[in-house]
Amino acid sequence: MLNQIPLNIFRLAVLLLAQILIFSNLNFSSFVNPYIFPLFVLLLPFETPRWVLMFIGLLSGLLLDYFIGSTGMHAAAGLLIGYMRPFLINVITPKGTEFEISPNVYAQGITWFIVYLGITMFIYLTLYFFVEAATFLNFFFMLLKIFLSTIVSVIFMLVFLFLFSSKKKRRFV
Amino acid sequence: MYNLFQFFLRYYLFLLFVSLEIFCFYLIFQNKHYNEVAYMNVANSVSGKVYSTYTGVSDYLYLRRFSDSLVDENAKLRAQLLDSKYNSKIDSGILRDSTLKNVQQYSFISARVIHNSVNEAANLIYLDRGRLQGIGKQMGVINANGIVGQVVAVTDNYSAAMSVLSKEFKVSAKFKKNEFFGNLHWDGVNSTTASMEDIPKHVPVKVGDTLVTSGFSQLFPRNIMVGRVKSVTMEPDKNFLEITVNLSTNFGSLSYVYVVNNLKKQEILLLDSLAH
Repeated sequence: MLNQIPLNIFRLAVLLLAQILIFSNLNFSSFVNPYIFPLFVLLLPFETPRWVLMFIGLLSGLLLDYFIGSTGMHAAAGLLIGYMRPFLINVITPKGTEFEISPNVYAQGITWFIVYLGITMFIYLTLYFFVEAATFLNFFFMLLKIFLSTIVSVIFMLVFLFLFSSKKKRRFV
Repeated sequence: MYNLFQFFLRYYLFLLFVSLEIFCFYLIFQNKHYNEVAYMNVANSVSGKVYSTYTGVSDYLYLRRFSDSLVDENAKLRAQLLDSKYNSKIDSGILRDSTLKNVQQYSFISARVIHNSVNEAANLIYLDRGRLQGIGKQMGVINANGIVGQVVAVTDNYSAAMSVLSKEFKVSAKFKKNEFFGNLHWDGVNSTTASMEDIPKHVPVKVGDTLVTSGFSQLFPRNIMVGRVKSVTMEPDKNFLEITVNLSTNFGSLSYVYVVNNLKKQEILLLDSLAH
């Protein structure tokens, strides 16, 4: 359990730098605005207590806000996915599944991850984009932006997962 | 009392969640309007350092493009040198007072863009020049192609400008051919277009007409390029034309900009306060 802490700090640093230096500078179009940073909260160990998830979601969101200049917006969205993560994992995981320490794309499988990341990113980006625009005008533009950004975010997240996940099975002791 | 205690024990996670969300939204709305607090932290040392290091690396990759745009700009500046113009007033002899000659109204501070975005609802540009280099809040920002934005926060060595691509940004612009003026603001959707307001229906506007700054606001000098008309529509139930403008500045590839220092700003503000 202890070596999870340096691993997660390292992951936080990589995701933060990738987000602010690459993904926030991509400028595909005004419809596609990918975020891979929330992956940090989504990959924390399964056993993490819920209140810890919420605080980590909030604080990591504030860290990203600090660099992007959007005070509080990523914090609000990060807190939300930290809060609902245990619910969601319960709902989408079949009964009797043996868990590893933390979500791993080779253990849970790609379908599970697409559902997991798709739902959380959709919720995350819905909150983020609507708070950012602070208005419900242009509803269809917003909806399209959320859908496209979710899809692109999930694709990049999967690429990240396949690049950095360990194939070795680490059984939960 | 026991029931209340039971209630808190049962729903403490939800209550914690709600109170933390309220805290977040307090932060968001506290900083919604462009005040200094919101961007101080962005322009300050830690993130400023990260962004300038990154820009230092990426500059090498784009050196060719930078030097091309600098050469273009040098050519334009050379064309404006007194030597390259024919001075027709040489013997007119009306103005003899030497203090009235060459009165400087604007000075320009060059700055490098260290962070830029075009996809947000309010797009910010961070510059590597700040208070110590003479930059202040409410100064305009331009580049070789046209207007870029307005400085909203300054620290000692960095500053943040909201770009034209922000809902709060408005600039007074006019048609180059007939001097009719109105307000230009961003429509929030596309990073290459903006819309022009307050142009009455009787004004003849054609696709391709050039828009330049009017110089009425204290942000920009006169006749800085803004863009060209992309489309004009006339709604029967409205008094004004609906004009879409192709912005001349390419916000996706900003590298170097000039911050406009209006040396007469205090005097004009004083005049403004006297007149009201």
